[in-house]
Amino acid sequence: MATPDLLDPKSATHNTKPLLSFSAKSVALSPREESQVVATVMKRKTVTAIFLLVVLYLVIGAAVFRSLEQPHESAQRFAILSQKLKFLSKHSCVNQSQLEEIVKNVVSAMRSGVNPVGTLTNHSSLWDLSSAFFFAGTVITTIGFGNISPHTEGGKIFCIVYALLGIPLFGFLLAGVGDQLGTIFGKGIARVEKMFVQRDISQTKIRVISTLLFVLFGCLLFVALPAAIFKHIEGWSALESLYFVVITLTTIGFGDFVAGGSEIEYLDYYKPVVWFWILVGLAYFAAILSMIGDWLRVISKRTKEEVGEIRAHAAEWKANVSAEFKETRRRVSVEIYDKFQRAASIKRKLSSELGFSSAPELTLPRQTSLVNFNDEWERNEKDAGQQNSTPPARNGGLLLNGHNPERGDISII
Amino acid sequence: MQSVSRSWLLLSGFVLFYVIYLLFGALVFSSIERPVEERLRHDMQVLTEEFLNRSCVNAASLELFLLKVLRANKYGVSVIGNFSGATNWDLPSSMFFANTLVTTVGYGHTSPLSDAGKAFSIFYALLGVPFTMLVLTACVQRLMYPLVIAPVSALQKSGLNPRPATTIHFVLLLVLVLLAFFLAPAAVFSTLEASWTFLDGIYFCFISLCTIGLGDFVPATQPGVKHRGLYQISVMVYLFMGLMMMYLLLSFFHKMADLHGLTTLLQLPRCDDSDLEDDREPIVGGEPKAPPLKDKAASKPLDPSSQASYNSISKG
Repeated sequence: MATPDLLDPKSATHNTKPLLSFSAKSVALSPREESQVVATVMKRKTVTAIFLLVVLYLVIGAAVFRSLEQPHESAQRFAILSQKLKFLSKHSCVNQSQLEEIVKNVVSAMRSGVNPVGTLTNHSSLWDLSSAFFFAGTVITTIGFGNISPHTEGGKIFCIVYALLGIPLFGFLLAGVGDQLGTIFGKGIARVEKMFVQRDISQTKIRVISTLLFVLFGCLLFVALPAAIFKHIEGWSALESLYFVVITLTTIGFGDFVAGGSEIEYLDYYKPVVWFWILVGLAYFAAILSMIGDWLRVISKRTKEEVGEIRAHAAEWKANVSAEFKETRRRVSVEIYDKFQRAASIKRKLSSELGFSSAPELTLPRQTSLVNFNDEWERNEKDAGQQNSTPPARNGGLLLNGHNPERGDISII
Repeated sequence: MQSVSRSWLLLSGFVLFYVIYLLFGALVFSSIERPVEERLRHDMQVLTEEFLNRSCVNAASLELFLLKVLRANKYGVSVIGNFSGATNWDLPSSMFFANTLVTTVGYGHTSPLSDAGKAFSIFYALLGVPFTMLVLTACVQRLMYPLVIAPVSALQKSGLNPRPATTIHFVLLLVLVLLAFFLAPAAVFSTLEASWTFLDGIYFCFISLCTIGLGDFVPATQPGVKHRGLYQISVMVYLFMGLMMMYLLLSFFHKMADLHGLTTLLQLPRCDDSDLEDDREPIVGGEPKAPPLKDKAASKPLDPSSQASYNSISKG
């Protein structure tokens, strides 16, 4: 391996110059390149990581739902099967296929909103104006309960077109309502904050307290109070009312519980008040959900930063190692070239002094030229073997392949 | 002062327009659907009477039985056919259910029966909905570059102005999404599902991808479907990708509206480009952008205009 030439000033500078310039350039370049590469790779990897996390979340949810619900489902199934058998055995004139026929018809009628149970005469229509208004509201807010749904082709096509225009419209409305709500809340909280600032509490604490206040007050106004009202009017349990409120305000809207969807006699202003509550509650929930989203984003960013720090260290180390390696390689190749150039120049000098026709040898590859020099040196030695005191130049000139002891030259490998 | 009164005016204008829109929709739905409902009710009456006349069943016991059947059916338990173990809560179906919960589609063809299931749904949804929104916005931000920004800049380089370039590309993207996420899946569904027509397929795709999720059409719920698990998983994938494309279109439309000056005209929240830059900042040796932001957020009192809006969820 080549050792640095420290004694020859020219070669020393020659060696150190590429070292400085190359390594400086490499250190400056590669972290930036590395960082760009790392940044885009991070982003793709972040998205993949988040995606995998969502899939994991879904799988966990699926497993929990299965363990919670399947026993109930089997119990229901068993109950209805026994009911069916009991019915068939009690009324022996009905056979299975007839029964299934009517059940199928009843179920599909139910899905169309016609309830064949009870006398069919004094049922209010599912498509009277107030119910249709409610249905249009569920379509535009994307809640989509599904207890009522269009069955005609015209109804379906109109539903599509209606939703296409109505959903953005509702989006704008919700943005506006959210802003107004935020203003009202903000003013109240600013007043509270002013009170706290007088007591010299830190800004972060005030912020946290105001967020908590917002969440609590909103929960009371838009979740707890309506849930209590629904419990009272609709006759649901407390959990069912809460479940309905959350499922509606997140716009999931299963439709197993619908306010105003049962056969109870409702007050006239019940449905419009419910609709208004949905509107304002949706704005509140949108704020809450985006707050949760912000928290998740901050958490993910922090993890990203921490992971990024680790990756930064790794990248830096890798950059340094590769820079060193590249630099050493370059230095070696520079030295070899340098040596060759010097050998060529000395050969020229020698040839001009001694009259050797060394031009063709310059074009030979290094290995063979070394061999030639060796042969020549041996020949020269044999020629001038008795001459002990050769002039230093000649001596130096003859020792081209090996060390020049006076110059402390490097041997070519 | 003028801007405040203007914003109030705009808001009341929106509310009024919204109410009118709802009334209009109600009128149209009512006039289309009501006659059909009447006819169906009449048919059911005839059917029940026929059944009662033919057999030894009396009305009361039939009604009792039907009530129980309908209650079971509401939870997805069908009384028709053999009770051959096709449950609604095996792992793929539960995952499908969790997916409808988390994307807020909420079909309702199955819903939690037990109290514990209902309570769990509440917490699962409260955490899962913003989480899904986050994932969707992250994916959309990632897709924005190759699908929107690169083609638009290519169009601009070939000599078009920014406004026509974005409009042309938006229309192109819209047509592509329509073909790939509405028409093609509708054709697939109408062949795979026995009772669905092509219009039913399109209707289902639209209602699902807008997260309305009425639940009158749900794939993989007919009895006797082959490879139900695989079918449900592929429908889930389709729903996720379709939602992503819808959000992409929505944010593209938002950017386009910004460009055309609509958002400032209507005083709507502008497209926030800082989120995009946030994700692109260099992690190694970049400017420390995060800490100043945190301090700023902590020290700023609750600014009323900074309240999150519904649109901000979709644009992240």
